[in-house]
Amino acid sequence: MTRPKKTTARAASKPKRAGGPRPAPKKKAAAAAPPPPRKPERAAAPPKRPASQPRTPAPRESLAAEPSVVAQIRELEAQLDRLIDQASRHELSGLAPDDEDEVEEAPAAVVAAPLPLDDDDGDDDDDDDHGHEPFAGTARPAEISSTEITAEYDVPDGGREHSRPGVPEPRASSAGIPPAPESVFDTARELLSSDFYLRKWGRLAMRGRSEEVDDFGYDPIYEAKLKPLLDFLYTTYFRVETTGVEHVPAQGRCVLVANHSGTLPLDGVMIKIAVKREHPAGRDVRWLTEDFITHFPYLGSAMNRLGAVRANQENAERLLDKDELVTVFPEGVKGIGKLFKDRYRLQRFGRGGFIKLCLRTSTPIVPVAVMGAEETSPLLFKIEHLSKALGVPYIPVTPTFPLLGPLGLLPAPTKWRIQFGEPLDLSGHGPEAADDEILVGKLGERVRASIQGMLDRAVGARKSVFFG
Amino acid sequence: MVLLKRNSSAAGLVRPGRIVTVTGAASFLGTNLVGLLEEDERVARIVAIDIKPPQTAQRKTRFYEVDFTQPTAEARLSEIFATERTDTLVHLAFLASPSHGIAVAHELESVGTRHVLVAARHAAVRKVVMWSQTVLYGANASNPNFLTEKHPLAAPTSEPFYADKLEAEAELARFAQKEPGAIVTVLRTAPILGPTIHNYVTRYLSRTVVPTMMGFDPLVQFVHEIDAIAAFTLAVDRDFPGIYNIVADGVLPLSTVIKLAGRLAVPIPHPLAHAAGAALWLAHMSEAPPSFMHHLRFLCVADGAKAKDKMGFRPAYTTREAVLDFTSAQRLRDVKLLQETPA
Repeated sequence: MTRPKKTTARAASKPKRAGGPRPAPKKKAAAAAPPPPRKPERAAAPPKRPASQPRTPAPRESLAAEPSVVAQIRELEAQLDRLIDQASRHELSGLAPDDEDEVEEAPAAVVAAPLPLDDDDGDDDDDDDHGHEPFAGTARPAEISSTEITAEYDVPDGGREHSRPGVPEPRASSAGIPPAPESVFDTARELLSSDFYLRKWGRLAMRGRSEEVDDFGYDPIYEAKLKPLLDFLYTTYFRVETTGVEHVPAQGRCVLVANHSGTLPLDGVMIKIAVKREHPAGRDVRWLTEDFITHFPYLGSAMNRLGAVRANQENAERLLDKDELVTVFPEGVKGIGKLFKDRYRLQRFGRGGFIKLCLRTSTPIVPVAVMGAEETSPLLFKIEHLSKALGVPYIPVTPTFPLLGPLGLLPAPTKWRIQFGEPLDLSGHGPEAADDEILVGKLGERVRASIQGMLDRAVGARKSVFFG
Repeated sequence: MVLLKRNSSAAGLVRPGRIVTVTGAASFLGTNLVGLLEEDERVARIVAIDIKPPQTAQRKTRFYEVDFTQPTAEARLSEIFATERTDTLVHLAFLASPSHGIAVAHELESVGTRHVLVAARHAAVRKVVMWSQTVLYGANASNPNFLTEKHPLAAPTSEPFYADKLEAEAELARFAQKEPGAIVTVLRTAPILGPTIHNYVTRYLSRTVVPTMMGFDPLVQFVHEIDAIAAFTLAVDRDFPGIYNIVADGVLPLSTVIKLAGRLAVPIPHPLAHAAGAALWLAHMSEAPPSFMHHLRFLCVADGAKAKDKMGFRPAYTTREAVLDFTSAQRLRDVKLLQETPA
């Protein structure tokens, strides 16, 4: 009786396989073929695929990179194992106890069922994912196991049909089966194997991030992860009041021009959330950040995942070409670096780059006034001696900052107001007007004056910095 | 098939029985290009030039052993081009990865390119296609998110790997100026990834622990090996004068790439990293000299729109798919299930 032995050996090795490193065997055949890439037609094929069109899933997506699929498969396999276990126990009690061979054979034969699934992993991986997807429901594994079992049974001992009706019964209630009690040793062995941690690591690796970010690095999953914190900042911490959000167009490119303030530049994020929450179209806003924020350790990449883009003429033009809503802070570092005594006094608006850009691309401008951010970390002095060595434009001295250490950088919970002003339509001027420095200066001044006016009115009407 | 039809309809672009010369034919790109040209019935003969024959060479290929680092290379090449009546020259004799043999690399890339181009002028070669890389744009803090072909190549010339390739590009620009009749194509590929290629990027991503810069997570971009080769076949098939960035669609944060590859990132504070990187490079323990660390801090992503519009180049793999494809093969290598002959 070699067969039962062999299959039990397989059965024993099976859980190990399932628990082994995520199915590494990928396209062995394709990768090992000596002159590898033979796919010029596909790459060079003339049919035009618009850049925006969602790509068809690549044939060779790694299983390991789809933690959810892997987890699902594993869960199903575990479920299957449990079923098999139960079935065998059922048979053990239901069948004649003298038939040792058959008892041994039962689990072995059943275990043989999921094996093709494992073999798939090894042999052809091209349709690996697609091969596994149908297993997403619970119906299929049950069906597979029962049919395979009958097949296996039929071959060796066809005359014993009468003993089988008991077999499928536990399988019918596959969904509601309580997990079979696991031996402590099994658990301990799994916990002690490095595979366990590798698998955990693999599953956790992609948590909180997308597998594909957009061209400028915006990551929707990362944003969703931070959303509770950002919403807390918006609704509870700063209690932002937003007015005039209807001035933001529901579609098409638009530039929001805002005043810049706060040592920790949170105004870009808050404007983004304001539009997302208050605007009927719930548009996503990108904003342009100064170099020193873009390249600031951790902060820069976090801002980038949330939608910030390095302030740069080419980047802005590209974003507007994609009909995005872009916030610009023309004051730049001068805005966030102004002392507390100069609060709410708009600094020079760069060299009017954003006006030229809007003229060239005939983009409407919506002025935005952010009130309340100036007091979040009032800047008393700037230390500029060491700044070069540290790669920051200045070291801020606020009532709390060097005193309380990094904790001192936490913004004060001031009351914020974000006001969107009347849009400035530049479509009356042609793109050639961008070369007219006088006009550019005039338009820049107009935007500046409108923001300054909104700020002055809002600050004048405010009774308390913290309670509005 | 589609390709064939389109080409035959574009009158004057196809010359039956063309003779394509490939320098660096035993390199990864060269081997695969020779293999593809062998199957292309419009190519009458392939002249493979390298110091060892390409593995894919069959009956159409004629192999010449020429060492570009020898001073006689120029005369030898010119002789070969003339006797073979070369029509299209594909210059791929560049190092894919930084090397410790700085002097040899300089002779091969910078001086070698001059040898090749002088010989090409002498033999009046109709078309020159040269390989270049988008890393030559340099990972500078002031880079826009997408670098177009018009952007100057601003990689630090203190690094010989960049300097030699920059000189080669300059050499080609001079050639194009002197030979206005010749069709000169430069294909700047993003770092190439795939299941069979080996270069400093694949070695970097197959380390057990992958060093990164603490707090920095730039967006990176790759191109799949199949797409890179397809771009060269396109440029050989039809005439596309100019410079083209050959890149995959999409970008990924470096940290995501490392996680997709199943590796562990070890952040190193960047003020320390340069010294540590230099020491490791000297000790032959790292893939690239410290000047490559800028790529772990700042953006160097090229815009592939021009290749899409003008060449009709459609990358089959996105950056993410290229990473996954590389990873799948790398996993096999990790457990010693994939055996391969070095390209």
